[in-house]
Amino acid sequence: MTDNILELKKITKNFPGVKALDNANFRLKKKSIHALLGENGAGKSTLIKIITGVYNQNEGELFLNNKAQTFNSPNEAMNSGISVVHQERNLIRRFSVGENLMLTNLPKNNLGLIDYNAVAKESKKWLDIMELDIDPNTIVSDLTVAKMQLCEIAKALSLESKILLLDEPTSSLSPQDTKNLFILLKRLVAEQDVSIVFVSHKLEEVFEICDEVTVLRDGKNACESEQITNLNRQQLVKLMIGRDEQIINSKKEMNFEDQNLLNLQSINTDLGHKDINLNLKRGEILGLYGLVGAGRTELLKCVLGLEKINSGQIFLNNKEIKIKSPKDALEKFKIGYISEDRKKEGLILMHDVLSNAGITVWSNLKKILSFLNDQIVYNKVDPYVKQLEVKTPSYQQIVSNLSGGNQQKISVAKWLASGTDILFIDEPTVGIDIKTKSYLHELIIDLSLKGTSIILITSDMPEMISLADRIITMKDFKVVGETINNHNYEQMSSSIMRNIHE
Amino acid sequence: MNFKIPNFVKTNQFGLLCLVIIFICIFSFSTDGFTSRFNIYALSRVVALDIMIGLAMMVVILTGGLNLSLGALGVSAAMFGGWCMESMGIPISISIILVLAFGSFLGWINGFVTVRTGVHSFIVTLATMSIYFGFMTLLTEAEAFRKLPEIFTDFGSLKLFNKYISPLLIISVLTCFILYYVFKYTDIGRKLIAAGANPDAAELSGISVDRMFIYCHMLSGFLAALAGIMLTARIGAAIPSMAGHLGFDWLLPAFLAPVLGGTLLSGGKVTVFGTMLGAILVTLINNGLYLIDVGEFWVRFFLGMILLGAVLLDRAREYFTVKNSIVS
Repeated sequence: MTDNILELKKITKNFPGVKALDNANFRLKKKSIHALLGENGAGKSTLIKIITGVYNQNEGELFLNNKAQTFNSPNEAMNSGISVVHQERNLIRRFSVGENLMLTNLPKNNLGLIDYNAVAKESKKWLDIMELDIDPNTIVSDLTVAKMQLCEIAKALSLESKILLLDEPTSSLSPQDTKNLFILLKRLVAEQDVSIVFVSHKLEEVFEICDEVTVLRDGKNACESEQITNLNRQQLVKLMIGRDEQIINSKKEMNFEDQNLLNLQSINTDLGHKDINLNLKRGEILGLYGLVGAGRTELLKCVLGLEKINSGQIFLNNKEIKIKSPKDALEKFKIGYISEDRKKEGLILMHDVLSNAGITVWSNLKKILSFLNDQIVYNKVDPYVKQLEVKTPSYQQIVSNLSGGNQQKISVAKWLASGTDILFIDEPTVGIDIKTKSYLHELIIDLSLKGTSIILITSDMPEMISLADRIITMKDFKVVGETINNHNYEQMSSSIMRNIHE
Repeated sequence: MNFKIPNFVKTNQFGLLCLVIIFICIFSFSTDGFTSRFNIYALSRVVALDIMIGLAMMVVILTGGLNLSLGALGVSAAMFGGWCMESMGIPISISIILVLAFGSFLGWINGFVTVRTGVHSFIVTLATMSIYFGFMTLLTEAEAFRKLPEIFTDFGSLKLFNKYISPLLIISVLTCFILYYVFKYTDIGRKLIAAGANPDAAELSGISVDRMFIYCHMLSGFLAALAGIMLTARIGAAIPSMAGHLGFDWLLPAFLAPVLGGTLLSGGKVTVFGTMLGAILVTLINNGLYLIDVGEFWVRFFLGMILLGAVLLDRAREYFTVKNSIVS
């Protein structure tokens, strides 16, 4: 008798033109945390969707508690105790925590109306199990991102779930919140008989909390339910990408003295930034580090003219400038912004590759009477799309059909094509596979060596320390520290965290 | 054997074209006089207007918005034209230019208010619909302009191509080609579509979304005014009630044509020729049902059903056929 709670045997799933899964196996032991790894497009999400009943497999079988089972809808899977916590929040923001937790089964009183006392009481029970100190009557939108994440898990537990699938649960959490989450997950496994499937791109986390690991590559098992202790980081990476990881050595010798390019002086904004001073030098990668909600992205948006700057000055090449809009920034001052949210702000998902890659250069390319055809745009953007090795069947492919990594490459390519002097790069590698990630890292360094000045926002500390020349730390919409990066992880990370917590 | 279906066959327009042909066949066999010279000529005059109205709505739907003031705006512009020509004696060509400018201005008001307040254009144009129509009725005292220059009214009753086709249809088809060109082959057209598809992404990519939205509303006003002029020429007078109370009579074809044609209600996708085919289909059904003599109310019932069906189709399209090209 095995102690597997969930087992998938020889699963094959075909989509028109693609074999998303090819004889893939997956085994989840009771009371274990199992890492599901693979690059974007390797078949992870397809596997998850089969487990949760969104898709049916073409071949193969699914066993729940050693019994063969098919789920015809996500609801059936949920009723069988399988819950998934997505990267995107699935809470209703205007409802209270309690209402969200009890949503599928709201307690009613004798009159058939919702019994709010019972809602609070019942949901409190689950919050207590999680040792979460949240009042069930709090409105979800008032919570921090980390708390929302935890509420999602509480919601899954309240459905009596025995299998929890966590899809990149830490992508928007600070290191401290991540630590707390892991403590909680371990406790859930120990005390609540829960088994967890953990999907993440951050290998450090996998080694920290997972017991077993399954790696998918091109829809096949690169390794199947292996003990994590049998593997080291290098081996794991090799399993995922099929070759060794490239280590970037980013140290560049440059003298940045007296080359102020962009200068913010005592900026106060409508959003609450207080007295921000910041200078970016030519060819420099300036890192902006801070926890979620520190006001980094918001600061850049204010600089781009999207939100109001109440007082303070912006200098470009020592001349005071006023940036009214991103159009202004692009056309007058050659400043570009690569958004952290490629789906909402970076790309037009319903449009094709060519119009997404070319959007920033249309104005420059237009001929007399605003004439512009595909060929003209193609000639301009093709070198950049090729340089970034975007994998797409054609330029007419709709961007939403591409993998996350390729989408990100396109949202970078359009800014390379625009030829800006200054680039604001916001969380460039969230949800991106390792291969693309290291590629983008090389690209960012390469750009700065060629003279582009970059302000980099990332919450990924290793990424920050390997890329930035200088790191500015922000907290509560204020600058709280500045450090020259010596690329020593231990020293830098502790000095940054000190800045934040003092 | 390797049989490849041509891409055109998979498009929405092909389906529409098939429907148009099917309905032509049905009505040709089941009614007397559907293919008569008189009926085809009458059809061409109606289709011309429906296409123009559909296009005027389409360019606002592109932004994810609506223009309910379309009819009121078109009639107001037409009445302004009647006043220019009849009361002021301004030459026809200059009058037409003034009317188009006036229509664009009313469209600009719609766009400006929408963009500045951030209120959905549905509400804004619901208000301006009443305002435009109210002002127009007040200023004209609900009196028509019936003594328009003869050259102008003669143009409306001109018969071309062996007396089968109205010149108004040629204007509409020409407008289709120009709009297609604008959306497909110009910088500004691409920006309009990008802004409609994802305003946030477009704004961050250096497109002035507000300006693009205002352009769309101005274009809508322009096309509605053009439709107003065409209707005036067709009936030989500028009458305040020629598009019904508050211009309501225009709204059904205005929605039906672009939605049937494949324009997404959520914005970001336009189908100029789809809208044209949609307008043709609506006019055909309208006309055919009248000839079969099913009665006024059944015609309305039927068109309402088609609109509902078209909206369902729109929902389905968002999921499945966004894969087609953006301008078609």
